[in-house]
Amino acid sequence: MKEKVKIFLDSDILEKYLLGDTTKEESQQAERYIAMYPEVRESYNQLQDNLEAFAKMYAKKTPEGLKEIIMKSAKMEKVASRKFFRYAIAASVAVMIFAGSSYFFWSQNKSLQEENTLVTNKIKYLEDNMKDQLEDMRNQFIVLNNPDTRKYTLKGQREAKELKAIAYINPVKKLSYINVSNVPNLPENKCFQMWAEVNGELVNLGVIKQFDDKDKLLALPYADKAVSYITIEPEGGNTSPTVENIVANIAY
Amino acid sequence: MSTLIERHIVSLLAEKDDKAISLLYENYGDTLYGVAYKVVKDEELAQDVLQESFIKIWKKADTYDASKAKLFTWLFRITRNTAIDKLRSVNNKADKEVQMDVSDVYKLGMDGITPEHLDIQENLDKLEPKYKIVLEALFFEGMTQQEASEELDIPLGTIKSRLKIGLRELGKIYGTALAILLLIILLP
Repeated sequence: MKEKVKIFLDSDILEKYLLGDTTKEESQQAERYIAMYPEVRESYNQLQDNLEAFAKMYAKKTPEGLKEIIMKSAKMEKVASRKFFRYAIAASVAVMIFAGSSYFFWSQNKSLQEENTLVTNKIKYLEDNMKDQLEDMRNQFIVLNNPDTRKYTLKGQREAKELKAIAYINPVKKLSYINVSNVPNLPENKCFQMWAEVNGELVNLGVIKQFDDKDKLLALPYADKAVSYITIEPEGGNTSPTVENIVANIAY
Repeated sequence: MSTLIERHIVSLLAEKDDKAISLLYENYGDTLYGVAYKVVKDEELAQDVLQESFIKIWKKADTYDASKAKLFTWLFRITRNTAIDKLRSVNNKADKEVQMDVSDVYKLGMDGITPEHLDIQENLDKLEPKYKIVLEALFFEGMTQQEASEELDIPLGTIKSRLKIGLRELGKIYGTALAILLLIILLP
């Protein structure tokens, strides 16, 4: 016999296991030994037989009627458990439906919220845009209708003879606009760019697009004794004007 | 023992057939009632214990694992533990009363043995008292071996050996009893 089997059999774990007095670890150990070693299994079976024999010695006649009571309560237990089972199923289904609908409403709510944010942002953007445009329009109106406004007609020189632009300058309101009405065709890799010399510094006013800007008034930064230039620059615009390519200028 | 009926009951239990309860009661009712009575030492309490135990057996039917324990061992564990729990809850309620009654009730237990069990009682008497005391303390009083050692004022090692020898002796006694029983049955 293996030493550890002997030690195990000499301990009282098997007897305790027989009575159900073992801890979880002891039970696992007992079950392992019973499964692994025939001699332990044999001892265990013998103990079980002896326990039954010992217990039978104390057998006592059960009173009349007790069986009926027990049978009845077992049946009730069965019904109760069946009822419980039914309720449990119903409850599970209800929970599942609730969870499903909760998720549905939650996701719907979330997407609506997202949409709401999107719409709000859009409205705000449109509002801001509109305000800007309205402000711009107002200024344009003021400039165009003001008796102090002076009108300058510009004509292009050299390669840009066809270039026509009208500048509106109001020294009282300190506002200035330019309307480029005709833009000559340029080679594909060239473009017109506007500049303004304000207080001795050249400010980039951006590239004049071929067609879009025809009837639009472009705001110019106002300064006393400012000069605006239109130059021909490589496509995409330049960081500083090419002086020899000045095709128009306006002093105001 | 009657492995055929055991197997039949086990399969009925697994199917949750209430015939299982009826068969269990017929085959093990008296023994389990005796176990419960031995622990709680009160007939009414023992009946409560038996009823509770059967409900537990019924509820736990699907957890019974024949590879881990014989049917009786499983039934015994449930009944014994239910009885010990019952006794503890009663003791908690009226600690002193029950303690004082112990010695009296013990005698009642002897009176409670019906004539049908007299032959078994005889068998029980064949078991030397020193083993019987230890087995009873461990099996029915719910004592650990340590507690039994302190309570009975017997060294722990002796408790261990008496439990082992006692259980082995039982096997011998029971074996002869069974042989006699078989003889009686087989004889016309």
